[in-house]
Amino acid sequence: MSYKVNIARQSLNALFDLKGSPAAILTWVEGALPALPERPNSRTRRDALDLYHIGRDHWIVRAPLGLEGRLETQLRPTDCPADISIVRVSDTLTFFRVTGLQAADVMAIACPLDLHDTAFDADAVTYSELFGLKALVMRCEGGFEFAVEQSFGDMITDYLTRATA
Amino acid sequence: MAQSNRRASGGRIDRNQPLQFTFNGKSYEGFKGDTLASALLANGVRVTARSFKYHRPRGIMGHGPEEPATLVELDGEDASGNRPATTVPLRDGLSARSVNCWPSPEFDLGGINQLFERFLPAGFYYKTFKWPNWHLFEPSIRKAAGLAAAPAKPPARGHFEARNAHADVLIAGAGPAGLQAALEAARAGMRVFLADEGAEAGGSLLHRNLTIGGRPAMDWVADAVAELRGMENVIHLQNATVWAYREHNLLIVNQRDPEQDSILERSWRVRAGEVVIATGATERALVFGGNDRPGVMLASSVQAYVNRWGVTPGQRVVLFTNNNSAYAVAADLAVAGVTVEAILDSRNTVPKAALDLVSGITVRSGTVVSDVRGHKRVRAVKAVPANGGAGTWITCDLLACSGGWNPTVHLWSQSRSTLRFDEELAAFCPDQAVQSCRAVGAAAGVLTLDRIVDGGEDLTYRIEPLWRVDVPGQRGKAFLDVQNDVAVSDVHLALREGYDNAEHVKRYTTGGMGIDQGKTGNINIIGTVALQKGVPLQEVGTTTFRSPYTPVSFGAIGGLREETVLFPYRHTPVTQWNKDNGAVMYEAGARWRRPGYFPKPGEDLQEAVNRECRAVREGVGVYDGSPLGTFELKGRDVPQFLDFIYSNIMSSLKPGDGRYGLMLSEDGLILDDGVAFRLDEHRWMISTSTGHADAVNQQMEKLLQTEFPNWQVMITTVTSQWNNATICGPMAREVMHALGTDIDLSPEAFPFMSFRDGTVAGFPARVVRVSFTGELSYEVNVAPRHMAELWGKVMEAGAPFGILPVGSESSHVLRVEKGFLSLGHEVDGTVDAYDLGMGWAMSKKKPDYLGKRSVALRRSGGGTRRELVGILPEDPNRPIPEGAPLTPGGRKEATDGLVTACVWSVVNNRWVGLALLQNGHARQGETAHVRVKDDVIPVTVTKPVFHDPEGKLLRS
Repeated sequence: MSYKVNIARQSLNALFDLKGSPAAILTWVEGALPALPERPNSRTRRDALDLYHIGRDHWIVRAPLGLEGRLETQLRPTDCPADISIVRVSDTLTFFRVTGLQAADVMAIACPLDLHDTAFDADAVTYSELFGLKALVMRCEGGFEFAVEQSFGDMITDYLTRATA
Repeated sequence: MAQSNRRASGGRIDRNQPLQFTFNGKSYEGFKGDTLASALLANGVRVTARSFKYHRPRGIMGHGPEEPATLVELDGEDASGNRPATTVPLRDGLSARSVNCWPSPEFDLGGINQLFERFLPAGFYYKTFKWPNWHLFEPSIRKAAGLAAAPAKPPARGHFEARNAHADVLIAGAGPAGLQAALEAARAGMRVFLADEGAEAGGSLLHRNLTIGGRPAMDWVADAVAELRGMENVIHLQNATVWAYREHNLLIVNQRDPEQDSILERSWRVRAGEVVIATGATERALVFGGNDRPGVMLASSVQAYVNRWGVTPGQRVVLFTNNNSAYAVAADLAVAGVTVEAILDSRNTVPKAALDLVSGITVRSGTVVSDVRGHKRVRAVKAVPANGGAGTWITCDLLACSGGWNPTVHLWSQSRSTLRFDEELAAFCPDQAVQSCRAVGAAAGVLTLDRIVDGGEDLTYRIEPLWRVDVPGQRGKAFLDVQNDVAVSDVHLALREGYDNAEHVKRYTTGGMGIDQGKTGNINIIGTVALQKGVPLQEVGTTTFRSPYTPVSFGAIGGLREETVLFPYRHTPVTQWNKDNGAVMYEAGARWRRPGYFPKPGEDLQEAVNRECRAVREGVGVYDGSPLGTFELKGRDVPQFLDFIYSNIMSSLKPGDGRYGLMLSEDGLILDDGVAFRLDEHRWMISTSTGHADAVNQQMEKLLQTEFPNWQVMITTVTSQWNNATICGPMAREVMHALGTDIDLSPEAFPFMSFRDGTVAGFPARVVRVSFTGELSYEVNVAPRHMAELWGKVMEAGAPFGILPVGSESSHVLRVEKGFLSLGHEVDGTVDAYDLGMGWAMSKKKPDYLGKRSVALRRSGGGTRRELVGILPEDPNRPIPEGAPLTPGGRKEATDGLVTACVWSVVNNRWVGLALLQNGHARQGETAHVRVKDDVIPVTVTKPVFHDPEGKLLRS
């Protein structure tokens, strides 16, 4: 391997897509989620739950897959009022972790975003481009984590293998 | 004698590391630190190339990317073409060949062209090879005038890489000005990206004997490099050329020796807050008869070979100059023990500071070179008074020329920043910056070290321009662009023929269009035009500077994108099963890889497709419908939104029900077809075609953001949240029962165009009754995590019923038999719903919907239109190529339609087809004619449906 990195394709996460005004969301979820992030393209965390603010009135909740059922019960996607949208999207994204000394170098091959810590801090999370695909990018311990549309997972694995060969 | 021209000492080469290499099949030796050019000169190789058009013998003229004459082709693991020999680092085992000569540059059969030089001026082939057709001659001309071929094979090892970077400041060039800028920016805490094309930092200091603060200038360079190396906020690359300056301060850097062995070259895409252009200056050639002969070199290059590489390109040197810089060269040559026969200076008065450097050397002011004696090497030059008069021949083996210096403004100009002509420097210099950039040092026209670095000592630069030698009795061709064989006479011809704009002169003569981009000669072309037209150079202007600044490998531009990742691809959880079961995989829109068909051993495509189709029509089949685009829509305004984007009414649907519909674009043409289902009061799901899922998504978002920003509609893409196995055929219900489900599958409880949530084979599922085959179908949607397992269970449960997997080829046949439209076939960007016989999908009740007005406008114009029909070849066994034209009587006339599809129908036991035919709906029963090469196929026009026209089967 030409770069000192560890690359791991993650197993499924519980993911829910949330849309609607912050007030309507907060009213509906009643404390089931971490506090809404104050800044766009940032995240908050409580226990095992992450909440990503990825667009205007748009969030993604992420949790270990084991919590998917509990979250489904708490968020009640099919029952929520007309002014908010909650959709389970756990299977739509495949997450990868790139960690190690040269994680930033490998990410620089994949992604045009400035991921330097002065521009992309520990709480940053944003959609960007990764090997030409729409991708959700964030930091993790020792490196970076990103997610792409699940059907592209094999292609991303292919790319990362080539990049680090 | 090996390395006969190598000095006994000196130079920035490692004499302890000898390297063996071959050039045109002959073995030579050089040292680590050499370039191919310096090693060839060290070995006394004079003729290194043949010219592009006339095949004149050429030698090495420069020492860097400006080299116009010697291009080489590298073999073996370095395989590449058209590399300037001056930019090829020497390595052990290097094998290089001259381009454009056969059998060798010393004896080249193409040299016969020299006998016909006067008949081969610029553009001669435009005028000569007109009859009967230019293309008849083109291959031979290209071959005769060609350069190196592209390598036949990809690199045997390694790969290219493209990488992104961001910096507060990017500095192009690590000469004195670039290093100084890098130090200051880095010390201020900025993120610095410093890239330099050379193997070592230092720029011109590498080959000049200058001092900074009383110490050798290279000591200052070493200190600067060491300080930068210790800073975490600095990326410093050597062998890295900044070759393109794009919009928004995006620059592209080609790094040729990345630290990883497995990476051949790396392309950096750098976004910089500010750009500092410290690219130095390029010495320009002088223009006189025979100025291309081997042994005529740039003066600074001679200095570089002597000082940097310890090579003496000649033993008896004449310098020809119009500026001060050549005097420093002469001084260095004298120190190196080279005999300087004379300095010929076109200026009438030489500054005293310059003369002081060369005491003891003959200086002839007001003198120019008008001719060169020697064919394959310089033997003498003719010195004549600049204002005319008798000349004298001076015996020499090397002529070092300096026509002055051009700031290297390529990147500056690529940024679209402006240039001004500086009369004092006689050069185009940076003027107004358009992007956030600045030029420094020699690139800004500051040509002496003392004005760049504190403590630097240098000779003041003075020049009097000399665009070409113009004295009576001058002989031989005087070249402006050595690489493209463009002489003064060619430019004069262009002007006489009316091509008097700099860009036109360039196109007509090809001057400045070569690999060297005219680095040494463009200014002389501009000067020649200015002299001939009697206008200032500023008025002539420059041609457009375009990237790349120097040649770049295509591989470096492409980066990782090759082989399996050349194009994106998408898999479903069943992709591996498909491959394991012998599927021939296709790209099937939106980058999905789908099975085309599943041939058994010995089966061809048609046999496999017939078998699959028969299974669906007579038993049961299953296909992976996961790639279909799927979106969940939520909000109070979804009904009216769907009514706007579909041409028919969706808002009347009850929860649990669905409807097929057409989406039109603003121009009334069909964007997509699909189905919409109402999940509950405010929640909807729509399904689109695979290939148009992204386009539909974009259209919906655009409408919501621009036309209806206050509508409450929230869209979530769930294409990859639901995968589906679509079980289709008369036995589909039996297979569903065999799988096990809690959904009542009876037609009464679960009719066509409805969905039910429940479990299938133990998995949570949403089952949808739609049909794209015309048969009873159940689209079993599950989460992708369950899809592979579900697929296995479907095959297992279906086995007793003879279930077969169905590929896209069979899906195509099945939909043609039913007359279902396909985007890209029947929907070709010209037809509307009425043309397709789908006027029923165009709501008469809705006041408005997208595309309605456009359709009405277009149809109000009257006239006939191409309409969808079925066609049956009179010979049932005669296939018709898709796309074949229908013409009146099959005659060679304007077409009145085309065949959109033709398939072998297993239910009809014959070929059937669909076509778009002028006024087709009224022509059913008529005979039409398909015109194919050497034949006419008569067909009967029918309704566009060949199976179950009432749709009883799909509703069963």
